Amino acid sequence: MIKAIPFALLLLLTSWQVTAMADAADSVKSPLGYGSKNYVWGKMTREQADILRLTGDAKRGKEAFRGCRGCHKADAAGIVDGTYPRLTGQHPSVVIKQVTEVRAGVRINPKMDPFAAEHAVSKQEIADISVYLATLETTRENGKGPDDLSAKGKAVYKKHHCAKCHGDNGEGEEAKAFPAVAAQHYGYLLREMRHIKDGTRGNSHPEMVKVIKPLTYNDLEAVADYLSRLPDYRLATKGDKK
Amino acid sequence: MRLVNRCRCLAVVGTLAGGLLAMPLAQAQGAVPLAERLPLCAGCHGQDGNSVVPENPKLSGLDAEYLVRQLEDFKSGKRKSPIMSGIIPMVDDKEFKALGEYFSGQKPAPGKAVDAKLAAQGKEIFDEGIVGTAVPACSGCHNDDGSGSEKYPRVAGQNVAYVVQQLLNFKSGERANDSKALMQAVAKRMNEKEIRAVAEYVATLTGGEQ
Ligand code: HEC
Ligand code: HEC
Ligand code: HEC
Ligand code: HEC
Repeated sequence: MIKAIPFALLLLLTSWQVTAMADAADSVKSPLGYGSKNYVWGKMTREQADILRLTGDAKRGKEAFRGCRGCHKADAAGIVDGTYPRLTGQHPSVVIKQVTEVRAGVRINPKMDPFAAEHAVSKQEIADISVYLATLETTRENGKGPDDLSAKGKAVYKKHHCAKCHGDNGEGEEAKAFPAVAAQHYGYLLREMRHIKDGTRGNSHPEMVKVIKPLTYNDLEAVADYLSRLPDYRLATKGDKK
Repeated sequence: MRLVNRCRCLAVVGTLAGGLLAMPLAQAQGAVPLAERLPLCAGCHGQDGNSVVPENPKLSGLDAEYLVRQLEDFKSGKRKSPIMSGIIPMVDDKEFKALGEYFSGQKPAPGKAVDAKLAAQGKEIFDEGIVGTAVPACSGCHNDDGSGSEKYPRVAGQNVAYVVQQLLNFKSGERANDSKALMQAVAKRMNEKEIRAVAEYVATLTGGEQ
């Protein structure tokens, strides 16, 4: 009898996990995330603050990143259809914010969960991985949109003040944990913007939701295409003295 | 209720099988030298750790620390196996290190797929994972050639039937001694067909040695 109970529980948990995963592709709202009563963007979890105080080491990070390579790939370039985002050159503060907020249940990511959870990766390892990823060059082609909509996308990006946070070259900002978005896979960018628009990206910046809400699906496609065709921001800003 | 009964049944069979096999050596109490212990293991795993019985794992070339941890886990019951659980009470903990190092130092014999067509499908899973169900690529942790590393065991050339059984055990939670529950998370996302295919491919890997 005693043995039978945990087994039943396990079954329940497993089926819950599978449903959650299927749904995630099409938006699950986090009870703690954007839109919930006490949501404050950028309110750091204890864990996030702890990790930001640690000194990361790229060599150790490379080793710890092994457990991530199965999805994000050995070169951390993700996959072209955007199911798995590119992580090369992402700001350490952003990597730390995203992983810890997935762990805290603010951003929902059941696919990644068991491989990035507290029991799988330590705080120090997250600090190490974040430093390691920032050192990686992007060598593989990223996924682009089916048609070149970059002119329209650029106009939307300008008009709706995206550059205020993501920068003129899609470079984001390390100090504020604004993600770099240039040269990311089209499929990933489009999916995230859809989730930001419908309020299901748990850790959305409320100011960003305001500017993305009025955009049409065609606008989002155009912006995603534009950003996917920008070069890695580290190339774009090299020698940029302005 | 049924489940509990079945478990007990397995345990009884296991103890019996183990007891019978180990009988001639039962008088060897306490630690014995490696050379005296090896014949017991060799009966199932081969003298050089290259088991030819498909259900028994090859031990050759596996990381010594990994092997020692498995022996410890068999002893404590953290890893269950009807067969090894019967054997391991005969072996003194002090012998584990020498056994681990011995088998780790043996040269792995090349493995062989039973079904080459399945192995080709398995390659795709091993190298790329299964994107639709978020199965990460095996190569991410175990390396492209299956050679593994300090944290992730070598799988290259392992016997097909053994790998299938282990993946099924990880999937059901029967084997739950994997560090950080990572292998359970992987296997829970796979169906039996995918498991069979990837096991066939694993058998063909060389781990970088020819
Ligand atoms: C089973 C596959 C899988 C594994 C393994 C995995 N991830 Fe992810 N990861 C994903 C998916 C899918 C997403 C995109 C989530 C989304 O669409 O919301 C993601 C997103 C991310 C992001 C957010 C990127 C961004 O731009 O916001 C970071 C950072 C990240 N992963 C880091 C890691 C780290 C570090 C590890 C290893 C400890 C890891 N991942 C392991 C599947 C995985
Ligand atoms: C007030 C600052 C701000 C503005 C304005 C803003 N964003 Fe964002 N954006 C963010 C932050 C912060 C994130 C990451 C979410 C988080 O962690 O809170 C983000 C995430 C994203 C992502 C997902 C990136 C990833 O790696 O997951 C995309 C795509 C994006 N923004 C596009 C846009 C577009 C397009 C606009 C303009 C229409 C815009 N943003 C305006 C702050 C902003
Ligand atoms: C009666 C046959 C038999 C004998 C004798 C035997 N083993 Fe095993 N061994 C097995 C089987 C079967 C397994 C697979 C267990 C499972 O299903 O998890 C195994 C598994 C193992 C493993 C785990 C390998 C891995 O890759 O995880 C180690 C280590 C091991 N045996 C070492 C030994 C040692 C050392 C001896 C001698 C003291 C020994 N075995 C004697 C049959 C045997
Ligand atoms: C996220 C990392 C990770 C991924 C991805 C992964 N594994 Fe594992 N694997 C592990 C760990 C950890 C262990 C257990 C090591 C231990 O017990 O210390 C393990 C153990 C195993 C074992 C048991 C080895 C033995 O000798 O008993 C097999 C077989 C195996 N993995 C096959 C696979 C296959 C096939 C895939 C792809 C479908 C895969 N693994 C994907 C981490 C991983």
